[in-house]
Amino acid sequence: MLTFIGRRVVLAIFTVWAISVLAFAIIQLPPGDYVTSYIAQMATMGSVVTDEEAQNLRIQYGLGRPIYVQYYKWVKLIAQGDFGMSMEWRRPVTEVIGERLWLTVVVSVAALILTWALALPIGVYSAVRQYSVGDYLATFVGFIGLAVPNFLLALVLLYLGFVLFNAHIGGLFSPEFNDAPWSWARVWDLLKHLPIPALILGLAGMAQQIRIMRANLLDELRKPYVVTARSKGLPEPRVITKYPVRVALNPFASTIGYTLPYIVSGSIIVSLVLGLPTVGPLLLKALIAQDMFLAGTIVLLLGVMTVIGTLVSDVLLVWIDPRIRLEET
Amino acid sequence: MTEPRWRRPHTRKFRSRLIAALVVGALGAVVAAGALAQGVGKSSLIGKLEGPEVVTDSAKFPKTLKEAPQLAALVKAGKLPPVAERVGQDPLVIKPLHEIGKYGGTWRGGFTGPADFWNGYRCCSGPDHLLFWDYTGDKVTPNIAKGYEMQDGGRTLVLQLRRGMKWSDGKPFTADDFVFWFEDIYRNKDLVPTPAAAMAINGKQGEVQKVDTYTVKFKFPEPYYLLPDVLAGSTQIGGHAQQGLNGMGGYAPAHYLKQFHPKYLGQAELDKKVKEEKFDSWVRMFLFKNDWAKNSDLPVVTPWKTVTPSNTPTWTLERNPYSVFVDPEGNQLPYIDRVVLTLAENLEVINLRAIAGEYDFQQRHLDLGKLPVFIENQAKGAYKVHLDPGDYGGDMIIKFNLSYEADPEIAKWMNTADFRRALAIGIDRDQINETFWLGTGTPSSVVPADSNKYNPGPQYRKMWATLDVKKANEMLDKIGLAKKDAEGYRQRTDGKGRLRIEIMTLGGQFLQFTQIAEMIREQWKKIGIDLVVQEVERSLAIQRTIANEQQLAAWNNDGSEHLFTFPTHVFPFDLIAVVATSGPLYAKWFQSAGTQGKEPPPRLKELMEKFKKAYGVPEKERIALGKEVWKIAAEEVFIIGVIGIGPASMGVRVVKTNMGNIPSRQYNSPDGKTPTISRPVTFFYKK
Amino acid sequence: MAVAPEQRVFVASQWQLTWWRFRKHRVAVASAVVVAGFYLAVLGADFLAYADPNASEAQRGLMPPQRVYWFDDGKFGPYVHGVKGVRDPQTFKRVYRTDPSQKIPLRFFAQGFEYRFLGMIPTTRHLIGVGGSLDATKTIFLLGTDVQGRDLWSRLMYGTRISLTIGLLGVTMSLVLGVVLGGLSGFYGGIVDTLIQRTIEILRSIPTIPLWMGLAAALPREWSILQVYFAITIIISMLGWTELARVVRGRFLAMREEDFVVSARLVGCSQMRTIFVHMVPSFTSHIIAATTLALPAMIISETALSFLGLGLRPPAISWGVLLQQAQNVQTVAISPWLMLPAVPVIIAVMAFNFLGDGLRDAADPYGR
Repeated sequence: MLTFIGRRVVLAIFTVWAISVLAFAIIQLPPGDYVTSYIAQMATMGSVVTDEEAQNLRIQYGLGRPIYVQYYKWVKLIAQGDFGMSMEWRRPVTEVIGERLWLTVVVSVAALILTWALALPIGVYSAVRQYSVGDYLATFVGFIGLAVPNFLLALVLLYLGFVLFNAHIGGLFSPEFNDAPWSWARVWDLLKHLPIPALILGLAGMAQQIRIMRANLLDELRKPYVVTARSKGLPEPRVITKYPVRVALNPFASTIGYTLPYIVSGSIIVSLVLGLPTVGPLLLKALIAQDMFLAGTIVLLLGVMTVIGTLVSDVLLVWIDPRIRLEET
Repeated sequence: MTEPRWRRPHTRKFRSRLIAALVVGALGAVVAAGALAQGVGKSSLIGKLEGPEVVTDSAKFPKTLKEAPQLAALVKAGKLPPVAERVGQDPLVIKPLHEIGKYGGTWRGGFTGPADFWNGYRCCSGPDHLLFWDYTGDKVTPNIAKGYEMQDGGRTLVLQLRRGMKWSDGKPFTADDFVFWFEDIYRNKDLVPTPAAAMAINGKQGEVQKVDTYTVKFKFPEPYYLLPDVLAGSTQIGGHAQQGLNGMGGYAPAHYLKQFHPKYLGQAELDKKVKEEKFDSWVRMFLFKNDWAKNSDLPVVTPWKTVTPSNTPTWTLERNPYSVFVDPEGNQLPYIDRVVLTLAENLEVINLRAIAGEYDFQQRHLDLGKLPVFIENQAKGAYKVHLDPGDYGGDMIIKFNLSYEADPEIAKWMNTADFRRALAIGIDRDQINETFWLGTGTPSSVVPADSNKYNPGPQYRKMWATLDVKKANEMLDKIGLAKKDAEGYRQRTDGKGRLRIEIMTLGGQFLQFTQIAEMIREQWKKIGIDLVVQEVERSLAIQRTIANEQQLAAWNNDGSEHLFTFPTHVFPFDLIAVVATSGPLYAKWFQSAGTQGKEPPPRLKELMEKFKKAYGVPEKERIALGKEVWKIAAEEVFIIGVIGIGPASMGVRVVKTNMGNIPSRQYNSPDGKTPTISRPVTFFYKK
Repeated sequence: MAVAPEQRVFVASQWQLTWWRFRKHRVAVASAVVVAGFYLAVLGADFLAYADPNASEAQRGLMPPQRVYWFDDGKFGPYVHGVKGVRDPQTFKRVYRTDPSQKIPLRFFAQGFEYRFLGMIPTTRHLIGVGGSLDATKTIFLLGTDVQGRDLWSRLMYGTRISLTIGLLGVTMSLVLGVVLGGLSGFYGGIVDTLIQRTIEILRSIPTIPLWMGLAAALPREWSILQVYFAITIIISMLGWTELARVVRGRFLAMREEDFVVSARLVGCSQMRTIFVHMVPSFTSHIIAATTLALPAMIISETALSFLGLGLRPPAISWGVLLQQAQNVQTVAISPWLMLPAVPVIIAVMAFNFLGDGLRDAADPYGR
């Protein structure tokens, strides 16, 4: 077991390194650099950045140097726990990301809880009543969430929220709580803003979860022990809930690790439309402005979250089901 | 295993029902949307141009001064000197549009992030120009400077400062702040590598000198009669708030900035500081410290000052206790305590918040296409919609890159006047106006509104700006483009197939340039021109412009109503004119006084010479020259005007009904920093 | 039919078994019909459209969908009423009034703009039309018009063509990548497997949006619409192959140990024969199912890319482009019919999902 974990950790570190290289490369891919977008920004403000000034800026930001030097500098900074300064925000990257990271996690967890709260019962029902009207209806509803373009759904809900309930538009806080220090009132305000984003994100992931639950449970229900239980005259609800559901839940629990990062990166578009103060919109803007350190840090952060999540899941899976260990080696 | 037979029809019915319900639901919404709403007519959306006035007659100055209650409390507590001491002997008196206001309230608005500097700048900077425009945008009036005088045949401008005026930290505002800016910022090659065009006449640099504590002069080797306009305009010497972050502006808080300058602190000490504060260089740090929107410690002379900077989720500004602005009854301005701009992650959210009445006064980022929705929700949101059409001739213009070289055939045609004119009259402007301006714009050439002092005459409005497909076809046939292919498109004369012209557009702007270009593409089919629409990202647009790769580009010419202080969109003036240029090589030639770039063709050269000459001559002559410039521009169609005198660019304004001193129409102009030209210091909450 | 019905199952080929099993999954069969319908629309987009998708006209901008009357005086004779539009000076909306006295008959196989059917046969016939008129008062708009007065139905037909071919092309490319890499991974195992599995993990660990942005922004912008179209397909598939590769690898691993493979090997079949005669047939149906299930993701990716301004851009027409143009407050508030392009997206995604489910179940004829 320990060697297994050790091996996975080494592999994970390798993956993180590869992600950092890839993240850096992706940000460099589009034409131009931060200075180009700075020039564009200045031009809209009526001031002109000349060639010499642009060159100066590139030197000041260290953008003129070869990419591998820039990469080395970046990694060295990170190794020291310093994620650099955001070029556009002119503040340390950690400060810019700051609260947004936690709000992102809050939104994602809310979405995850909602997904499971809906998907698990529906999945169980679908499996028990396979091919019934209810099964089809549940699958249908599940797929609607997957199929509706979520950016459009988000906008429609935003508008309906205003028209029908006079709700505050977008964001996760009412204006008076935007910068307020944490308090119960602020938490309550946050909770009031959560349902719409959680619903949109949760619906999108529901279909997949219903499917997994249904398939797992169907497999389990055909096993001899269930037949035995039935033949012994156990009441049906008990037959189902006693073991099959629990067994079917096992692989589920182990996906928790990487589901969360998936929801985080899946939430970028929805966050943008709903104007949520999460890392998503920040990442998009940073990518457009080619704000290297900020974009790089966010991509790396999401990547690391996924890697750790996967690692935890793998370890969890082996813990739960020792048979896998054989396969892995 | 097998599916029970009886279930099948149900399932199928269910599915089809659900799908049907989906479609019906969507269609039902359509019907509901047809509901009529009672709004106000077009005439009441565009009101009469009006605004507050600066009182310059010192006999009408208030005798005693009053202040906001919270400041009075601070004075009482001994934490602030009395108001008379703070404002000084020469207040900047502004007569509000309607009435004397009441103190208090928070102005709520939205912004899109640190790059959206103009948002807070336009509302809250006062302005802090030395001189500024009156509400008509036509006349220069004293502002931070109390008065000015042209001397020495236009070579010297003497500015009187206000006695006893203070920076926002209570330190005196004097001529030394000008000298510090000029000697230690402007002339420092690290801070300002390239001298400002605004500080030169005919390529010769001027100087800033101290006469006494409250008098400075701007001295030039040759006559520079335009200088007052330049100080009032959005130029490199147009005030500290706008230009500080570039090391420009004309003045700067010497007492504060000295601690970040190598001359006063010593390089070693400074380097230590740079490292401590994690800046890349002392230049970055210095310019950051001089950034009105990002450094809340920076002393300013604007009526509101930044409290939480623009690089945080809420950009907050609070009243400057040392504000020099007062009303005729002696109340220190502004009336409104705080301005809170909340970060909106995207423009739809800003618009929807405005629709929901979550903003008190918002103009920037509001989309003309949403006008019906704004009107529909006026009562619910307790606001009123105003339209402020600009005085410029082009809410949308199409620039030809006259110095294009990559494709000689296309370069040749873009340099043929009749080709440009034919394209201009191949556009059906009424269609475009109806579709994208909802009929609120004016089909127009590039010339500014008839009331503008540089307007060459009413006949120029429609010059080469009215659809005439027959004439356009005749003109194109005549210049040698008569040969067409099977689909009716004109052929190149070098035998390389169809004549394809590319237009570069930018997405996410105040106006949907891409969609309008698509419509023009359809219209130009009728004159046999194949237009390729290319939507690009802003940085890419800049790169292509610098590389001289752009053919046509869509943009607007806002600012051109102030021909001489905002000429970017009139002819090839800057190298990088926002995103599009009408000829980077010619601009280079113009800027370098003929030493670099490429010599422009005769008519363009004539335009440039007239323009240049106008800087050094008295106003009357300058107006005549300005008219000449517009005449040439309209006749030669260097730039196609599409729709102008319209509200598409920041001309849709949503204002809460409880706000007072709100003009029914404002002068909408980048030089006027609308709404600054309406003096937001006089806005107030009635209840 | 010498064999009794109950015994058919023992002599049927695997494909027959798959088909029988698939037939039982009614929803999947219905979905297959829907999918077939979509691809017919792809082939005949210009036949189904009745107006030039780019023809704009300000006087018919934002016209709501028109009601079609199917019976005229009790007889079948579909028609629509004439419509006249003005801009309301109070609300600034465009208001359309139908003129009940004016009947515009709908014709089937009517004359319209010229095109080449299936890209070959030049014709002017369209499924429906009113005689080729583009006069604002004398034509039909089944789904209404957009801001520029372009017919939404016709645009939707062209958008369907682009979006579904992008999906198909993307999936084909993913398939090739997925099968080759997944196959290599599963068959050889060892270092090849580790390498490919790591690559997959890395690709899946990076949020898709930066990957898309980086790749899409790196495309040369002077590329024509067609080039961008192919490039975007490649981008989507470059990120889409990982799931397929996993499926393929999994099948390979599972099957290596299956009795029939082992016995094939034991009786002395060559490696090639083992793979192609014994393994692949039971395998293809799985691949088809996985491919079908991958298509919805492609479709959704295309719309998301357009939303971010990275995918196809106007003047190209695709579902993503149409939805992106509907992504604003005024559409939701005053012209909601512009959101109709979401309906085919939803139907297509669901149909592909159900079809894929059915295929997957059917692919395993001895299972359950």
